[in-house]
Amino acid sequence: MSSLLTPIFALLLQDESLGWLQRIGLGLKHPDLSKFLVIGALLFIIGVAGVLTRRNIIVIFMSIELILNAANLNFIAFSRYLHDTGSPSAVAGQVFTVFIIVVAAAEAAIGLGIVIALYRNKETIWADEIDLLKW
Amino acid sequence: MVLNGWEAVFFWVFSVAALVAGLLTIMARNAVHSALFLISSLVSVAALFILLGAEFIAGVQILVYVGGVMVLFLFVIMLVNVGAEERGREPIFNHTAQVTAAVIFGLLLAGGLVYALNQGYKGMQASDRDKIAAITDRREAEQQNMPSAATGTFRITKDTERVGGSLYRYASLPFEIASVLLLVAIIGSVMLARTVKQEASADDVDPEVLKEAIAAEPELAKLESANE
Repeated sequence: MSSLLTPIFALLLQDESLGWLQRIGLGLKHPDLSKFLVIGALLFIIGVAGVLTRRNIIVIFMSIELILNAANLNFIAFSRYLHDTGSPSAVAGQVFTVFIIVVAAAEAAIGLGIVIALYRNKETIWADEIDLLKW
Repeated sequence: MVLNGWEAVFFWVFSVAALVAGLLTIMARNAVHSALFLISSLVSVAALFILLGAEFIAGVQILVYVGGVMVLFLFVIMLVNVGAEERGREPIFNHTAQVTAAVIFGLLLAGGLVYALNQGYKGMQASDRDKIAAITDRREAEQQNMPSAATGTFRITKDTERVGGSLYRYASLPFEIASVLLLVAIIGSVMLARTVKQEASADDVDPEVLKEAIAAEPELAKLESANE
């Protein structure tokens, strides 16, 4: 395996000798840590866009779940990378992810309880109509 | 960490599925469709976790998110009325200016992040290359003596054992705090979602509020007198 991997690392670092098209092809064939991080960043941005643009408060909660999930993906990707560098604390990323999932579950339970209470009192789930605290 | 062969193919399939399902989550008109697209996105990310060798987290993701949280979401969507949204009478997005600003800044953030991640990763790769090569060689040598079912891409990892071990060895206090947090969340959501009727039958409601509620619904007076 290592005899296969070492030339790949060498190729990925020799940017000048390869055209940009070849480099992209190599990146597509051998996705590495940076690809996982990019996917996590894009999922995060999709979640932020959902929070900022949607009016339905339940969909806003779902977007928050997307954001938390993007953070989880980054944690796991770095955990794997540290495992490959032989770091003894590589598994810490996975342990942290378990806690993020716990916090996400608690947040969803409380948030949906608030949505139900709000719907009973105000008869609306549109975030822009819930303005009791507005001056 | 470089994926090869079929791992790379599955990486692209599942990451594109996660991104497309995420986009559809925030663009679907019907909230139930949003929830179903979010479930597909979460399952795709769980598949990426398996590619990264975190089988335990992938299982937890599917059990807790898809089996627990999303079912809760679907129940709440059924409890509140979304009929107007489905029939297209209500706009699903905020004001156009707000949406435009959010999309422009989101694209700027995406471009900046992708550029910064690639630049930073190049430096990391250069500094860690020798370490990774040494570790890969050592693991390769260890796998020489193993049966073929325990090697290569198809190996059965000890991921769950490692996560469980360090969860109890190094993170036992946060673990207990997490259980208290879940207890608080359970009690809080039960308290938040009670109706006036349920509060009156538990004799746990402000007298002023109860007077107003009785004016609207005379049935409540019986519950109050039963308590006394």
